[in-house]
Amino acid sequence: MSDTSTVNTESAFKDQKQKMAISARNINVVYATPTGDIPAVRDVDIDLPKGSITGIIGESGSGKSTLIMAIMNAVTKPGKITSGSVILNGENDILQLSSEKQRKIRGKEIGFVFQAAQNSLNPLRRIGQQILDLGRAHEVNDLRELIKYAKRLLIRLGLDADRVLASYQHELSGGMRQRVGIMFSLVLNANIVFLDESTTALDMLSQASVLEIIRELQKEKNLTIAFVSHDIGVIADLSERIEIFYAGEIVEEGKTSEVLASPKHPYTKGLIKAIPKISGDIDAAEPLKGSSPDYRTFKQKGCLFYDRCPIRTNSCQDSRPELNITNRDHKVACFRVGANDRD
Amino acid sequence: MIEIKNLQKFFQIKAKFSNHKTVHAVRNVNLAIPSGGALCLIGESGCGKTTIGRMLCGMENPSSGSIIIDGQDISKLKRGARAKLLQKVQLIHQDPYQALNPTHTIEQMMKATLKKMAKQKKKDADWIRQRMDELLKLVGLDPETILFKYPHMLSGGQRQRVIIARALTVEPEMLIADEVVSMIDVSLRLGILKLLRYLRERHNISILFITHDIASARYLGNDTELYVVYKGMVIERGRTERVIRSPQHPYTQALLSAMPILKGIEKPGKDRFVITSQFRQSEEEPRGCLFADRCPFKQSICDEKRPELVHKDDAYHACFFPKVRQVAAESI
Repeated sequence: MSDTSTVNTESAFKDQKQKMAISARNINVVYATPTGDIPAVRDVDIDLPKGSITGIIGESGSGKSTLIMAIMNAVTKPGKITSGSVILNGENDILQLSSEKQRKIRGKEIGFVFQAAQNSLNPLRRIGQQILDLGRAHEVNDLRELIKYAKRLLIRLGLDADRVLASYQHELSGGMRQRVGIMFSLVLNANIVFLDESTTALDMLSQASVLEIIRELQKEKNLTIAFVSHDIGVIADLSERIEIFYAGEIVEEGKTSEVLASPKHPYTKGLIKAIPKISGDIDAAEPLKGSSPDYRTFKQKGCLFYDRCPIRTNSCQDSRPELNITNRDHKVACFRVGANDRD
Repeated sequence: MIEIKNLQKFFQIKAKFSNHKTVHAVRNVNLAIPSGGALCLIGESGCGKTTIGRMLCGMENPSSGSIIIDGQDISKLKRGARAKLLQKVQLIHQDPYQALNPTHTIEQMMKATLKKMAKQKKKDADWIRQRMDELLKLVGLDPETILFKYPHMLSGGQRQRVIIARALTVEPEMLIADEVVSMIDVSLRLGILKLLRYLRERHNISILFITHDIASARYLGNDTELYVVYKGMVIERGRTERVIRSPQHPYTQALLSAMPILKGIEKPGKDRFVITSQFRQSEEEPRGCLFADRCPFKQSICDEKRPELVHKDDAYHACFFPKVRQVAAESI
């Protein structure tokens, strides 16, 4: 009797795992400095369900880019992953693979679009040549087909494919480079795509069209996307699930519409209030108090948001709140959930 | 009071192996900002909104038209008098990371301009010290902890505050805020906008706010006028709230449609549309409407004739087929 039940839970567990494109557990990353290690990401668990868009929000310096790098096992010195596991498609742990296998996964399985697209393109080679380089590095046999596919993608992205392939990166505008970055992340048929601040440097109209393209391609190819940004507006528009990141920890997560409609963590509430909106009462907008977390914030024993929190009590200083479920898959890390701000 | 009349600006671009090209950056712009008032200019990059700002503070000379500050046309003044008048208009740049000298502390930087002011006003070193503290406190910084610092030790938001404090040392009557928040983290943007609003309400400093983000324009200039600029031409103007709720020009509608929707709080406007074609500076001056090549609603006359800015029910628009479309997000 007990045997069958364990088998059942095990198979259920396996099912659950297979639904996840990426399932990261207990990720810890530190940056080594002369004065000691500074934790940048602490005990983060994150799941990216297959075929969904997850948004990760955090201020600059909150460790959101480091988290993405850790998921790809691409943290560079002085950073170091001290613990954790990242299960890809319910099978391999990326953090345990040999560097050669990791290299093959990046590009073929996982695509990545950097924040500053101009820094990730080779300034001395034309875009077309760089696609061929990528193909050779990943042992693609039919390079001609690869170029054809790249052209089709570029046309989808609304670019003049022939012109782009023959251009150097400095001949392209910011929006075009960002689109070229998206093409690079998809050209080897990656199923999982990480986008790091991909629309931050763009104008309103090109931002809207890049978001529209991302949405279309995601539906068409059933991609799993993780979108990292400090702009809550972009994330709220694009993502189905949302992760609020503060000082290296996830403080709230859940379905985007639910988190935005009824935020539970004081940081999330503050963040939503702190953006000027096109609808509603504009005078209700209120800036977030205090300054962004820095290297001193991590030394606090208690809640990391303590010094900026409008609803803190003394006991918040003593221990760190954990991520607890408030409603189905809506989780929040706060002792004072439900307390009134005006107190 | 600051007025701009029929302002135009042409840039000559030297091209190798071919004829010089002329870019018409600003076309017949008229605007007026009363003292203590505000005005928002909206448009995408390359539309000429920054050039208008630069001409207003004397960093660029207009090709034609006039800029009138307190009743005096600045192009007709002698150098000294012009410089003195232009002191009243201060520009705050977009990039707080490049606007400060990295080798000077905040104290050195603030003192440099305050010394000149002290000389003009015949004040002593105590006055400088006092004024410095006062200004830094006004912009929300603690003088004790900030004066000895170098720019690299400050965050983007703090730098922008220092830059505003520096602009205030010469006691300006107007600030030109050119994309002041676009390089700053979203969570800190509102702090800077609130400061500008405070300066306007309490210190009677008028503000020309240049941005591509309509929501921040709505916060800063809720009670003022909004000008939408495309390729150097004002294509729609009106009270901010009116332009957002009932835009008439397709370009304004495209900008409003491009605002991200906050799921769970907002729902998209029912006529929302997305433009995918990109902004391009045309090779030849088009005969027709400047927006015709991207406009989803264009008709044959739009390529033939250029619409002028016309007045209609307390708003202005430059379109042959104006139609109000509900494109802005609404709260649920």
